[in-house]
Amino acid sequence: MKKLVALLLVAMLALSMMPAMAENVELTMGSWRSDDAVQVQAMLDKYFEKTGVKITFQPTVPDQYNATLRLQLDNGTGPDLFYSRSYAAGAELFGLGFNMDLSDLPGVKENFTPASIEPFADAEGKVFAVPYAAVNHVVYYNVDTFAKYNLTVPQTFEELLALSQTLKDNGETPFANGIASNWDILECVFSGMVPNYIGGPENRAKYESGEWKMNDENFVAALTDFEKLSKFFPEGFESVTNENGPDMMALGRAVMLIDGSWQSGLLKDTNWGAFAIPAPEGKEPGMCFHPDMGLAGNNATKHPEEVKAFLSWVASPEGAVEVAASLPGGFFPMINAPVELTDPKVNEVLAANQGRVTDARFFWSKLMPMYKVMVEELNALAKGEKTVAEVAEVFAAEQAKTLGQ
Amino acid sequence: MQKTKQPVLRGGGSINPGGRYWIWYLLPALVLYTLFMAYPMLDSIRISFYEGTTSARTYVGFQNYINLFTDEVYSKRFWNAFGNTWIFFAFHMLLQNVLGMLFAVILTNRTMKGRPFYQTITFLPVTIAVMVTGYLFKMLLNPQFGGYALKDMGLNFLVHPWLGDANTALSVVSLVSVWQWVGIPTMMFVAGLQGVSEDVLEAADIEGCNGWQTFRYIKLPIIMPVVGMIAILTFVNNFNAFDIVYTMTGPDGQPSYATDLIGTLFYRYGIAGEHPVGIPTPGIGAAISTSVFLMLLAGVIPTLRATQGKE
Repeated sequence: MKKLVALLLVAMLALSMMPAMAENVELTMGSWRSDDAVQVQAMLDKYFEKTGVKITFQPTVPDQYNATLRLQLDNGTGPDLFYSRSYAAGAELFGLGFNMDLSDLPGVKENFTPASIEPFADAEGKVFAVPYAAVNHVVYYNVDTFAKYNLTVPQTFEELLALSQTLKDNGETPFANGIASNWDILECVFSGMVPNYIGGPENRAKYESGEWKMNDENFVAALTDFEKLSKFFPEGFESVTNENGPDMMALGRAVMLIDGSWQSGLLKDTNWGAFAIPAPEGKEPGMCFHPDMGLAGNNATKHPEEVKAFLSWVASPEGAVEVAASLPGGFFPMINAPVELTDPKVNEVLAANQGRVTDARFFWSKLMPMYKVMVEELNALAKGEKTVAEVAEVFAAEQAKTLGQ
Repeated sequence: MQKTKQPVLRGGGSINPGGRYWIWYLLPALVLYTLFMAYPMLDSIRISFYEGTTSARTYVGFQNYINLFTDEVYSKRFWNAFGNTWIFFAFHMLLQNVLGMLFAVILTNRTMKGRPFYQTITFLPVTIAVMVTGYLFKMLLNPQFGGYALKDMGLNFLVHPWLGDANTALSVVSLVSVWQWVGIPTMMFVAGLQGVSEDVLEAADIEGCNGWQTFRYIKLPIIMPVVGMIAILTFVNNFNAFDIVYTMTGPDGQPSYATDLIGTLFYRYGIAGEHPVGIPTPGIGAAISTSVFLMLLAGVIPTLRATQGKE
């Protein structure tokens, strides 16, 4: 009896070791996009069928990703592949030696424009992640409600304010935006507006060098319009979170929502359309098209060849198509090749970019240390606790402090 | 049988060095406690003297403490969170525990009917996960969700962004927490009051004590050790509070840091890092936790002496 048990045990052990002896390599991929786990894993499974390299998607809670990843990398347990933030937050990990240097990875230089690579390259131009997806910020609106009041998509900011007033006069809540989440008011609403007032990357650079001050007429105009817009936020907007927005739209409690393209998937209960945040009369229209996700390779991986092969595939037009299909609507591929988006609604969101100067969120690259102060100031402006002039002064002072001037 | 076994226990065999066989009973708990409680705590004191994270840590002496108490932003946030934590604690000490005592006295009253029912109701919120409580109240207190129900009931004056208003947010979060946890002191006081001997109470009746006198001069002195224990638990639990704020108003202690507690401040600086960069500064986090540890110690030891010393 004992011998039989022992024999069985040995057999089981041998069986369990079989996969390890096969030539399959298993990799892990870290991410903050827990919402997309199913689609991304399906894409990775297709890759497995093609190459025999198995990649497991291991996302974390979105707002704990940076901290979790850092802890894993610090302790040598980091995933082989990981989602990388753009600009400083991503470059910091590269500076510490956690990311592979992908400057010479086949596909990177060929298939991406310098503007797409820049957010994922350090000061010396070394690439620390393959550009993966970008997002834009638009105004979502309830098509039925617009039809009910004979409203058309506004072409200028003044028209947007006028139609908001019409909605308000009819007892509707024009916007579902609130300030309780403490991030979307700056990242989606105000950053979405800014390119209409300051223009594209070359003008942003003037603020980043300190040549232009953040209390100049551009910013005062942007803040003034933001203040006007905030008058159309819902009752109790101080308590309304970013998650509430799609719910309020679905329940018919608000007509419009200024939010990121990634929210489009959550609006399925609303008959929605989307348009770009309009520029004020006489200003050239801009658009916030923000490089959001890159894909990085872990320098400490045991399988550098397989990791590089996967990244190179992601950087190829063929891979980009597969990846784009696995990303939720509203995450737009950055590859410089025609990629069809299957969802016409999502195409409408992307189409909002057309004919506009696009740029990343204006503060993301060099003015990030101002983040908390800007959020607090915008909150105060929306609540009516501060005036535009006061807020502009704080912005300029923080800008000078951040730039060490 | 007994005679042959006893010498083994007392005599100092291999598993019984010097007759101290109790060591083996103590060991599992001691090892776990040392490994998972004492060591991390001491290590966090060590980390408070360093800068950077695991891979690149440099010794900076007391610099983290100097930064914490002199840097404009750090010190402002720390003292704000410190003050908020005291207010949060005061709500629990003065409201939760006094209500707990009141409920316990009512529940243990001899004329009380339907006691198990009320006891269950009082205790029920304790069994709900804090995340659930926080989320439910967040929706209930939101003018765009709970507000509609209030308006339907004609209670328009109650529709207010309670959690979005810096003047009300901390009080509201504290009250929700009091609502959730009032069952704990209630149960402990009930247990204490049930231990008061019937004879004593009868004697008090015969002597003509009124209800208040019975409570003030007989019941309260007898359950004083329980009161002390509750006070310490309240103190410690509330200085560690984090979850209810995290779920109701977020890790930033919104609005405008009005609900920022030591717990959320520590989480932001030491664990998660501030959004959107999210890179923590463990040194500052450890300096916060060490400072608060010393402050707690200074509060707990006198309380322990005052209430538990006589035993």
